[in-house]
Amino acid sequence: MPRALILAALLVALAAPLSGCRDTGADSQLIVTGSTTLLPIAEQAAQGYQEANEGTSVLVSGLGSSAGIEAVSAGTSDIGTSSRDLKEEEGVLGLVDIPVAFDGIAVIVSPENPVDAVTTQQLQDIFSGKIRNWQEVGGENRRIDLVNRDEASGTREAFKKIVMADDARFDRSAVVLPGTGQVRDVVSHSEGAIGYISVGFVEPRFTDTRVKALKVDGVEPSEETVTSKEYPIARTLHFFTKGEPQGLAKSFIDYVLSSEIQNGVVVEAGFVPVTEGGGE
Amino acid sequence: MSAPNGSTAVAGELQLVSRQTQLKEWLLAALFFACAFLAVLAVALIFIFVGWRAAPIVSEVGLSEFLLGSVWAPTDGDFGIRALIQGSFVVTFGALIMGTPLAVGTAVFLSEIASPRIRSVVRPAVELLAGIPSVVYGFFGVVMLRPIIAEVTGGVGFGPLTASIVLAIMIVPTIAALSEDALGSIPMGIREASFAMGATQWQTIYKVVVPAAKIGIVDAIILGMGRAVGETMAVLMLVGGAPQFFSGVGQPMSTLTSQIVMDMGYATGTHRTALFGMAAILFVISMALVLTVRLLSRLRD
Amino acid sequence: MNKRTVNNLAVGVLWAAAAVTVSVLGAIIHYGFVNGIQVLSPAFIFTWPEGVNAEGGVWPTIVSTMYVTALSMLICTPIAVLAAIYLAEYAHQGRIVSSIRFAADSLASVPSIVMGLFGFALFVEAMGIGLSMLSAAMALSLLMLPIVMRATEEAIRAVPRYIRWGSYGMGATKWQTVSKVVLPAASPRIITGVVLATGRAVGETAVVFYTMGQAIWLPLSPLESGRPMTVHLYLLAVEGINIPAAYGTALLLMIMILGFNLGSRWILKRYRKV
Repeated sequence: MPRALILAALLVALAAPLSGCRDTGADSQLIVTGSTTLLPIAEQAAQGYQEANEGTSVLVSGLGSSAGIEAVSAGTSDIGTSSRDLKEEEGVLGLVDIPVAFDGIAVIVSPENPVDAVTTQQLQDIFSGKIRNWQEVGGENRRIDLVNRDEASGTREAFKKIVMADDARFDRSAVVLPGTGQVRDVVSHSEGAIGYISVGFVEPRFTDTRVKALKVDGVEPSEETVTSKEYPIARTLHFFTKGEPQGLAKSFIDYVLSSEIQNGVVVEAGFVPVTEGGGE
Repeated sequence: MSAPNGSTAVAGELQLVSRQTQLKEWLLAALFFACAFLAVLAVALIFIFVGWRAAPIVSEVGLSEFLLGSVWAPTDGDFGIRALIQGSFVVTFGALIMGTPLAVGTAVFLSEIASPRIRSVVRPAVELLAGIPSVVYGFFGVVMLRPIIAEVTGGVGFGPLTASIVLAIMIVPTIAALSEDALGSIPMGIREASFAMGATQWQTIYKVVVPAAKIGIVDAIILGMGRAVGETMAVLMLVGGAPQFFSGVGQPMSTLTSQIVMDMGYATGTHRTALFGMAAILFVISMALVLTVRLLSRLRD
Repeated sequence: MNKRTVNNLAVGVLWAAAAVTVSVLGAIIHYGFVNGIQVLSPAFIFTWPEGVNAEGGVWPTIVSTMYVTALSMLICTPIAVLAAIYLAEYAHQGRIVSSIRFAADSLASVPSIVMGLFGFALFVEAMGIGLSMLSAAMALSLLMLPIVMRATEEAIRAVPRYIRWGSYGMGATKWQTVSKVVLPAASPRIITGVVLATGRAVGETAVVFYTMGQAIWLPLSPLESGRPMTVHLYLLAVEGINIPAAYGTALLLMIMILGFNLGSRWILKRYRKV
């Protein structure tokens, strides 16, 4: 018994000095939290940054865009990532907005589905449950199976903001899935399903399953149409800082905006780079 | 069973136990008691914390609106969890319907029919099933079971059917292990008397042994039910996340547990309070089930 | 149908029930193995996740899992053993003991999401420890407590009375008896209980998610965040993009837990002198 106590005491003694060097706001550690959509970019950039800058640590986590915005304005995180724009009530928080990528949202169906194109209004009616059969948009006589994203998803927020305008609500009978890959997988195997994912994920990566992206209002979703803003369902991915970014945060953000990350990770993650003349 | 009093005057070298030692013994006993009481403290703390975070729901939403409202749409200010309660109920019920016969059957087999050699294979198998993490069950359910259910029901494959099947497998070890204990505690003599009267093994089982172990088996089922109601990860990954009333076994629903996880990442204010309210309900249900088991066991004695 | 036929039919059904149970286990193991083994390699186990979709390995998650599990064991075991000593050696049947047992049973049945939210509300926020190994370990210890308590209590009760009497007869105090005689005799069973409880802790997801966070990181201090294998598997599974890595993680998890399970049996068998 005494042995166990000694061991425990040793562990605590070891931990104390180590925990001492954890200092939010100190130059050596950066806390980045927020959107799960941005997680891959943030994590990759964090790794690359830490490798290039010995002694720094960038801790990334993803509990949702809202959580990220809340954390950065409360000071518990240095950078808040978000895949949605600030809401009106969040405008007073004093956050500085740095766009880091663009994201087009493709509407996908099974490759077997004969429908090729929809209008934004049709999309709204489909996802709100007004249109329930593919026949009504020029397809076969088949029930439409809605595949939605979870409410914490920035992709859903963006889709909702653009497509479900004028207080239209998502039909509550839609399946709610928490991830892009799942949406893709489910839609590719169900002939009646319809869902939405980032443009960059339409092409298969680790699997053989294929999905078809619909034209929306006549425009095919692609990197060009997203950058040129022709494609209607697109959004900006943000880094937010409280006040102008400084020190470690600024250094990290510059790194994320560098072409190494923009043409590497950002594209790999299925998004559209923001530097190189695209955007504002 | 009280501690021996200090004085043992045997040989000259043995000293009387000093006051210091008596004090030390008493302190140690107090320490042990404190550790044991920690369990009670923990449960009380859970009650307090979860309840405290959930309490505002009464004033912000209203208890009847919360419990009986049929629309769960937090972004619109609707916090009615009736559909979620129904979801938890449907999934649990389905799991019990499928899992109980399998579990009790396995338990009866282990207790009454299996030879020691067979038992040494089947019993560890049941224990291993219990050890598989729920996230693994959920994952395998998504990749293996969902496409099959989608084929069969024509929908997308998420829903109470998929969730119940996986949940049934998950509660089998719980119910089977406890049922087997209950059956095993019935003395052999009862069975022998039955055989002596010419009954077959099956007749003995269902007319004599099982009724004798009835309370233990019911306990097992209740605890299995508790496990099913409280299961989070597997249900989250399989039930479809749609907060609507039952509309077919292959159509998505949501449960109390799955909805909490889905929303917790971004919920604030009243929404978060509502989630804690749901957690409080889950906690109360699980304690009520434990209480029921205790009362039933008291009946037996 | 005469009673013979009914009997044979019924017994057949019972055989079928057991067979189904065993086959389900076999199917799960087989499926996990077949899909996961292709991914398992020293590279997978010992490298970090890389790239946007967690290509590469799972090393930091393995470390996080082991770290938090070890920490939980350290926190839970002393408390649970001391508590069980109280119940087995000192307590008199009555209200207090009854409520302690009720509390332990309740702790064992708490839904993991409730424990996760509780851990979040108490350890992470109210006590200010933040998302960390420590918060997660404390929450996990609460879940492990009833298991180790029950195993220890049974182990202590299984120690024959005469061993204790011999000790008292030589003039030992109660504590000396317990610490030098009873506990060592009961230790194989106690260790088995600890190992079993640890197996449970390794498989927890919801509890750890809300108390530890999900940072891909090699935790050094208990106040740091990390990502255990269960959370990693969940994220991989729902993101749905890198399914092979998910299979690999699932298989590793199952192997780890199988290891704990078999390990506990081995300990029991090897030290079964009582």
